[in-house]
Amino acid sequence: MNTEDLIENLGQELRPVAPLWPPGRRAAAWCIGAAVYLGLLVAVMSTANARAGGAGVAFWASQIAAVVMGLLASRAAFVSVVPGLSKRSRLWAAVAVAALVWLATLVAASPRDFEWAAVLTTRHEWVCVGFIIIGGAPLMWMLAVMLRRGAPLHPAATAAFAALAVGALANVGACLSLPHANSAITFAWHGGVVLALVAVAALAGRFVFAWSAAR
Amino acid sequence: MTDEPSPIDSLGELMRAAQRGDGASYRELLRTITPRVRQIIRRQRGFAGVAEVEDLVQDVLPSVHTVRATYDPARPFVPWLLAIVRNRLVDGARRYARISRREIHVNEEDVTFSEPATNDDSGESEDAAALHAAVRALPEGQRQAIELLKLKELSLKEAAEVSGTSVGALKVATHRAMATLRRTLGKTRE
Repeated sequence: MNTEDLIENLGQELRPVAPLWPPGRRAAAWCIGAAVYLGLLVAVMSTANARAGGAGVAFWASQIAAVVMGLLASRAAFVSVVPGLSKRSRLWAAVAVAALVWLATLVAASPRDFEWAAVLTTRHEWVCVGFIIIGGAPLMWMLAVMLRRGAPLHPAATAAFAALAVGALANVGACLSLPHANSAITFAWHGGVVLALVAVAALAGRFVFAWSAAR
Repeated sequence: MTDEPSPIDSLGELMRAAQRGDGASYRELLRTITPRVRQIIRRQRGFAGVAEVEDLVQDVLPSVHTVRATYDPARPFVPWLLAIVRNRLVDGARRYARISRREIHVNEEDVTFSEPATNDDSGESEDAAALHAAVRALPEGQRQAIELLKLKELSLKEAAEVSGTSVGALKVATHRAMATLRRTLGKTRE
């Protein structure tokens, strides 16, 4: 097919499309949906002694840091699918800083004399892993559907930011609904599962966000 | 001062119309950007031939079409287009590298051997004559099935209409005819 025929065909199959909302607005819409969903999930799953392990300033500081990281990561994911936007790298750097701050709040709140070797023996944390992965799955699906309407310019980065956003917010849900002995365990288990989610998403990104799949 | 939009603004205007479903504006937009896209590709891929450049142009245009909803009417059009072109060029380079890694270059060799015996096609005509004789020797129903389905290449339905038999009967006749031909031609060769 020559290029002129291609242009003719594209013109013939043209349908009206509504321009996508700006990335910030799309991210806000997703975050509101995620907050409502996680609120309901926490209300259903919350146990009486959920925050008995430490509902002090350190606990809430790490939750706020995780929420900020989730908001920034979701915005970065939406920005990554819009061609021609400037200041992209600044936002990506902000996400990395937010992730480090979140991890730092958890480490700072960890007991000084904590036996780190005991982390893996706290098997009840598998419930949190399930909460983050299974509870976060609908959020991931919703985010992927929204992101696939964009341009797959950086599939791995888009998927990694999406996973980080979901992992961060689902982590907050898990912290609010299930009891945690201390921040060291949260750091190792929640941090580990979020990191694993991001790694898997980055690897799978090019299959989910591809030019052939874009509509 | 003039109120006419600059060429760059006019591209955005055409894209806005395209998003509203205006096919004529869309074609005009694509025809306007195509030479620019081609120029960018030639500059970036100095080693690429005409066909390869055109392949990349034809990669970019459907991509623009696919993600046209991502164009924000409040923003300039050209940076949006350039980001897509750059991305498709990188994808094209990756694809090229991937294919090159898997390709094995084989020296061009003659498709036949040089020995005279291998280039003797007289056996083919003997086979053809034997095949015609074998078909003629088939029972009437089987011969008709072979002629209609294998020689005239009619569909089963068409052959059934012509012969006045059912599709099932034709299938059976063809199967038996093929078995008979295989036997007959096998004996001839021996």
